[in-house]
Amino acid sequence: MVEKLLASATEATRYQRAWFRDLRASAAAGDPLALVNADAPQEIFRAMEIPYVVNQWWASVVAAKRRAPHHLELLRERGYPDYTEQYSSISLASLFEPDPDAAPWGGLPRPTIVLGETVGDGGRKIFDVWGQQPGITYYALESAAENAVPVNWWDLMPHDWEKAIGTARLDLMVSELHGLIRFLETTTGRVFSERALRRVLDLVNEQAEWNRRTRDLIAGTTPSPLAVTDSIPSVMIPQWHRGTEWARDAAQRFYEEVESRVRAGAAVCENERVRLMWIGRGLWYDMDFYRRFEERHGAVFVWSMYLAVAADGYPRYGDDPLRTLAARFAAFTDQLYTPPWSCEWYVKEAKLHGVDGVVHLVSDDARGSYFTNRALRAAGIPVYELHADNVDTRSYQESTEQALGDWLEREVVR
Amino acid sequence: MGTTPLERLIDHYERRYPVTADGPVIGYVGQDVPVELVTAAGALPVRLAGRPGTDVTAGETYLGRGVDRWVVSVLTRLLGGEYGRLDRLLVSRDCEASLRLFYAVRELRRVEPGLGLPEAYLVDVLHLPHWTTTRYDRIRFAELVAVLERWTGTRLTPAAVAAAIGLHDERRELLRAVSALRRELRLTGVQALAVFGAVLPVAEHNQLLRDLMESSLDVHSGRRVFLTGSAHDTPDVYLVLEKAGFVVVGEDHDWGDLLASRLVGEPTLDALVERYQYNGPTAARASIADRAAYTARAAVECGAELVVSYVRRNDDAPPWDFPAQAAALRAHGIPAVLVDRQEYGSIDLAEVPVG
Repeated sequence: MVEKLLASATEATRYQRAWFRDLRASAAAGDPLALVNADAPQEIFRAMEIPYVVNQWWASVVAAKRRAPHHLELLRERGYPDYTEQYSSISLASLFEPDPDAAPWGGLPRPTIVLGETVGDGGRKIFDVWGQQPGITYYALESAAENAVPVNWWDLMPHDWEKAIGTARLDLMVSELHGLIRFLETTTGRVFSERALRRVLDLVNEQAEWNRRTRDLIAGTTPSPLAVTDSIPSVMIPQWHRGTEWARDAAQRFYEEVESRVRAGAAVCENERVRLMWIGRGLWYDMDFYRRFEERHGAVFVWSMYLAVAADGYPRYGDDPLRTLAARFAAFTDQLYTPPWSCEWYVKEAKLHGVDGVVHLVSDDARGSYFTNRALRAAGIPVYELHADNVDTRSYQESTEQALGDWLEREVVR
Repeated sequence: MGTTPLERLIDHYERRYPVTADGPVIGYVGQDVPVELVTAAGALPVRLAGRPGTDVTAGETYLGRGVDRWVVSVLTRLLGGEYGRLDRLLVSRDCEASLRLFYAVRELRRVEPGLGLPEAYLVDVLHLPHWTTTRYDRIRFAELVAVLERWTGTRLTPAAVAAAIGLHDERRELLRAVSALRRELRLTGVQALAVFGAVLPVAEHNQLLRDLMESSLDVHSGRRVFLTGSAHDTPDVYLVLEKAGFVVVGEDHDWGDLLASRLVGEPTLDALVERYQYNGPTAARASIADRAAYTARAAVECGAELVVSYVRRNDDAPPWDFPAQAAALRAHGIPAVLVDRQEYGSIDLAEVPVG
């Protein structure tokens, strides 16, 4: 396992473990607990002080512990598919774990509320199964789509989000949030304060600004001061705590640590010859993967979506807190997965970071890769498609590493 | 062209494409497209189906390997011009594959305009059972009215919309009668799919359906099977099942019985919106509980001896429905079998209990 380079990553992991321990205690004491999708408006829960766990974060923990195959088996035993939407279904499998002592981190406490958008075809069904379990209520959020969109969402989103997303989608998401708040008030007895939400939104924006500074710093520094394996815990653990002072300060500490490394001329790979971009979700079951190309090829993964979307995808400023929050989530996945937004953003980021090549993780799902790869290649950037699921180890071919290495030597290292 | 109403309907189904029509033709993808508005605009709505067993490399290039193959086939056919003259394209969001098709067409028109794909418009009908969703859908319908007026140059007056709603509701009533014929085994599943999916103006379709009701039809025999799971835009799987001794007496997908499950009932745009919001329940958009209840009820009404959940590769929703469907059917003594990860247009009969 790769050792943590940054103190901010070590501190984030320590904080996360302590937080999870407290969360388990709070759930055991009968407090409400929500399980929410990564792209859902968690800020409402934060403002109402309702503890929550992010569905995909827990899946990444399970995958990192190499427990995903066991979890998928638990689904299969109950007649559910183990071959689709694994990243979203693994947490559900934790509910069926017969031996909680064997579960990572002591096991996922049983939520009382699950929140997810109706995106895709299978995602909603997974939440339906959650909602069929005793004591768990599924609150579904609509997810709308748009006909015509301006391409440069990253310029528009912070302030001109109405123009980027469109009024109809925002109106719908605002009404969804109204419904969610009333539901939470009614079922948990917790209070919603608009004042509290404003504070949460301010903290999230401050956090995003620190992430933007960090992203820009890494983008403009050669050789790279760190690899994506260093940045992911430092940015993602605070991301799941966004809206707190700890998360805002963690983002600042992360920046300062990177800045200090840049000032000292520290490089993650002294022999850096190639800067790589990783498009797609993290390969949670083998994070060492990202580092194995440094020694052999001088290739450093300098970019992942986690820091980049934390920089560009979250900032939203506005006078009306609910509409501003709606603007963060009404089109969140489009930023990453829907052309032209996704492909043009990846090109923008590739150029900003001066990458020499892109490795694109492509799962067997509907999101596809053609338009992103086409746009990158048109910009003169070679792309390697790596076909695998990011949590299901069964999908990973052992020959991948050799093939990727060959591609690096053939098309990228010059 | 055949001589009996059934033969003529089958002809209109088998020769769906390329489309030949004098007036404007609007291709559409997915049952969430309100065809009433297309009819009211004076255009012919033509629902697009794929073609199993053909090379789909072109579509796969753009959509990848993770999209339900019927949509990959539709894109391939669009690129190859197989549908004939389509003046415009309406794509609904009835499932993820349709949405991905829309995004692909939109992006291809932007970056590879030389491919000559028609202008496409997304009909974003949402389905959660909330009035806030109705309000959103109403906005989208109003936008669609404006788009159709621009495309066709025809004003969609309340009277025109009302007349179109009347025609399409009449067709739904007639299709319900077709479903009743199936339950009497006077139509096979293959024939019923053709009767449902024949491409011709709605008034002419209605006349042929009325003629069909008055015609003499053979009585078929076979083990009565109800199909759930993926939708069937072509009869290939039905043909395999019926050759194996089954008769498909009903289904819960929207190329079949589900097309007529809900009427508009009132000649207004607001009623049309609610009809499409609450239509279904389709596998991709309904809850597991709604699907299980509907499938069980429909299978009982059809006198099904067996329910087959046929699921294509990359059709993500139906396998999640199956455990609850099987449980609901067990309560009625109807066995159910899941045949999943099937290739487009084919079914592995080894998975289906025969006899």
